[in-house]
Amino acid sequence: MVDAARHPKIDVRTYTNVERVEGYVGNFKVQLREKARLVDVDRCNGCGECAKVCPIEVPNYFEMNLAPRKAAYVAMSQSVPLKYTIDEEACIHCYKCVEACGPLDAIDFSQEDKVVWEDIGSIVVATGFNHFDPSVIPEYGYGRFPNVITAMEMERLNNSAGPTVGNLIRPGDGKNPQRLAIINCVGSRDKRFNPWCSNFCCMYAIKNAVLLKQANPEMEISIYYIDIRTPSKGYEEFYERARGMGIHFIQGRPSLITQDDNTGNLFVHSEDVALGRVIEKEYDMVMLNQAAVPQPDVDTVSSVLNISQSPGGWFMEYHPKLRPVDSPTDGIFLAGACQGQKDIPASVSSGLACASRAGRILHSEEWQIEPIIAQVWEDRCISAQGKQCGLCAKACPYGAITVETGKAAQVTTAKCHGCGGCVAECPHNAITQMHFTDAQILAQIRALLAEKPEEKIFAFRCQWCSYGGADLAGTSHFDYSANERGIRVMCSARMDSDFIYEAFRLGAGAVLYSGCHPQDCHYITGQRVGATRADRLMKAFEKMGMSPGRFRVEWISAAEGDKYSRVINEMQETLNAIGPEKLHEENEMLRPEMEKRARRMYEVPLVTEASDYSDEMRQAMSDMEEPHGS
Amino acid sequence: MEAEHPMTFADQVRAIPGGEHLEMCFSCGTCVSKCMIQQKLEPEYNPRRLLRMVMMDMREEAFKSPTTWLCSTCDLCYPACPQEIHISGVIGAVKSLAVEAGYTSPLETVSVDETLCSGCGICVMTCPYEAPHLIEKEVNGVMDRFSEVDKDKCMGCGMCVAACPMGAIARPGVSNPELVNQIKIKKHKDAPSLVVFICDWSLRADDDLTILESYPENVRVIHIPCSGRIDPQMALIALRSGIDGVLVCGCAPGECHYQRGTYVSACKISLLDSMLGQMDLADGRVRFVQLGTQDRGRIRHEIDGMLAGLQREAA
Repeated sequence: MVDAARHPKIDVRTYTNVERVEGYVGNFKVQLREKARLVDVDRCNGCGECAKVCPIEVPNYFEMNLAPRKAAYVAMSQSVPLKYTIDEEACIHCYKCVEACGPLDAIDFSQEDKVVWEDIGSIVVATGFNHFDPSVIPEYGYGRFPNVITAMEMERLNNSAGPTVGNLIRPGDGKNPQRLAIINCVGSRDKRFNPWCSNFCCMYAIKNAVLLKQANPEMEISIYYIDIRTPSKGYEEFYERARGMGIHFIQGRPSLITQDDNTGNLFVHSEDVALGRVIEKEYDMVMLNQAAVPQPDVDTVSSVLNISQSPGGWFMEYHPKLRPVDSPTDGIFLAGACQGQKDIPASVSSGLACASRAGRILHSEEWQIEPIIAQVWEDRCISAQGKQCGLCAKACPYGAITVETGKAAQVTTAKCHGCGGCVAECPHNAITQMHFTDAQILAQIRALLAEKPEEKIFAFRCQWCSYGGADLAGTSHFDYSANERGIRVMCSARMDSDFIYEAFRLGAGAVLYSGCHPQDCHYITGQRVGATRADRLMKAFEKMGMSPGRFRVEWISAAEGDKYSRVINEMQETLNAIGPEKLHEENEMLRPEMEKRARRMYEVPLVTEASDYSDEMRQAMSDMEEPHGS
Repeated sequence: MEAEHPMTFADQVRAIPGGEHLEMCFSCGTCVSKCMIQQKLEPEYNPRRLLRMVMMDMREEAFKSPTTWLCSTCDLCYPACPQEIHISGVIGAVKSLAVEAGYTSPLETVSVDETLCSGCGICVMTCPYEAPHLIEKEVNGVMDRFSEVDKDKCMGCGMCVAACPMGAIARPGVSNPELVNQIKIKKHKDAPSLVVFICDWSLRADDDLTILESYPENVRVIHIPCSGRIDPQMALIALRSGIDGVLVCGCAPGECHYQRGTYVSACKISLLDSMLGQMDLADGRVRFVQLGTQDRGRIRHEIDGMLAGLQREAA
């Protein structure tokens, strides 16, 4: 850390918040608030005279509130940079520190927050994790029984730089504990609080037990656990070593801790699962191994940086296996435990991976993206005509579209990932997606439904999931109806309602609308845009009197080849049950409505003419009648 | 097609409301140690194992297991379960299948003396388990109403025994005459006498039982299955026989082994205490305390406090 601070090319900004991030990969503009520390960092030499004279003491957060600190303080003695800060909330303005600082004159009570903008090429988020507060579990008595402590408190009590200089004592009465219980999974693997396994606590409990046992071989240490998880290299061997040292492992999650008020000793009630018997054991001290949880301000950070969150609140990576340190926004990377609970080796690996990913951007003159980006026809965008719209911006999972009334919507090309949600959502056909134009998709629909359309099952599949599912069904030789005809688009968000209307107008027997499962969407929220639209379509078709099952919405992952074939076969059965006569009759009945709704579609020029965005094409599009649905 | 596969035991249990989420159990043992039945009553009692038996299709063993019959649905385990399994719901589902299969409860249950029963239905309202119900039958040519108890539902808490105005219900071990017989104390001249009715479930630790045994003869401890078993009359009988004070101990609200016995008793005993106070008969002679699972050692403070109060009163 000291090396990093001294490096000529590394600029460490502490006590600084990131407030806004604009721009895109390689060209971020970041607004920073350098908070007033009431100390001039250029003058302060870290001597600590101010802290010595400061009369105010407040709990020291770094020492888990087990020790005090002054209102003039450094977070810890190894802080980088070693510059003092005055805690304005605690300060009583006695100005003794100013006197003590003397000729250095580093203390400046007139200092105010400074807001600065910086040009940044890429961003690595390493905001870490927080600890679960066990006082919300009443049966463990944390906060009421003084000798029940958390793992972090143990860390400070057992640290030679800690408040007790490494002498492990009971907070209740200062005695040295001889019998210690360590309880794992406090708040983890617990659906009432956090369903996840916190990953490192098993090893952490064993490490603490081994350290204590080495310092004091007489100490009796029990670790209560549900399962001991030691999955990495050397971990199981360490667990074995701990057992060999006489550390007691008890399988069973304690349900209750009670305290003897006279001695302050604690009784842990649990089942010994191996015995099948309830046991009550007496200890001098109990350590709760709390869960790892996301930082409390994780929502603010995720909205500033536009990073999505997984259900528990951890930052979401682009792909759990293949792009584990990339955020969905290009140029922003996730290091360490902000992305999920990680132990030290995993955090270091992800930090190194982030450094190399970020370095790749900093060393590039140009940044290549896929060519399937969205483009706006400015003359058709109603925002340019002064009307309020912004549906495209709402559909975009990446914040790549900015809409200002009076100006046409603008796509930041570097941010666009090509899901096509904006294209399908725009009611004025003012956006198109390169290589997935309306004309191209339409040509496919028309070609595939050219013959005997009523026998056909037309499938819209998304690139990342259901197309993969169909592929797997094929390579796995799962049988499914030969009447299926499918096309590929990038995301279910691109599946324009007009395409579905057009397919039915052409007489398709059935239409499948398929994409990823909600949590698997390649484009963060693209599936949600598609699903909302599919719901709307489903209701509309129901109202029109279409037989149920002819329009079907299914979320199929790339691993669900069997599901794909099953769905297609079920749709075939539905078609068989309806029968060709009734189907024909129904199509005739529906056609006027479909024609009305899909009107725009038969004015889209042929793909041969539309393959290039020529001036004639643009003219043809802008000459079109006012489209439907506006 | 699916109907061809016979339903497994687990499927049957899952199909009964309350029996869902069975397979979520990862055998952490929280429910077993939260429950006091294994410690107090039956070493073979183990809800975690019953869940395993269901999962492993061990139908007969599950039906014979004491776990199936002893769970009183106090639901202490439910809020503590990290997998949010409604364990008493699962046990209840197994129990209903066991009853269907012809098994019967091995518990001591209450019995109604039809010569005394007036058919008023107070027991029906009192019971947390819907065990008593009213039936009509002909006696000596006259149609009359009686209470009848479903033996498979009764958990033997004795709340109905306390509630019955006719004294028509009895529970072996704690029927009215049996309790009255126990209220007998050798009086000491200078020490106040005290009867402690203690609910068997409200004391978790063995230490607490040792505390109770440590008192001399002027403190008489009477064990009852539930504080809901004590009716005001029992306290009055004690006072009339010359005893100075009556202390009734039950579980903390929400922790009652029989769902609401502690609540019912708390209402009755506090009402009696305030009535006696208003009549200037006895102040602080009758008390009700609720002991929580974490109130280790509190019983000593309560008894000592009560004795000190009575001593002051006497002086």
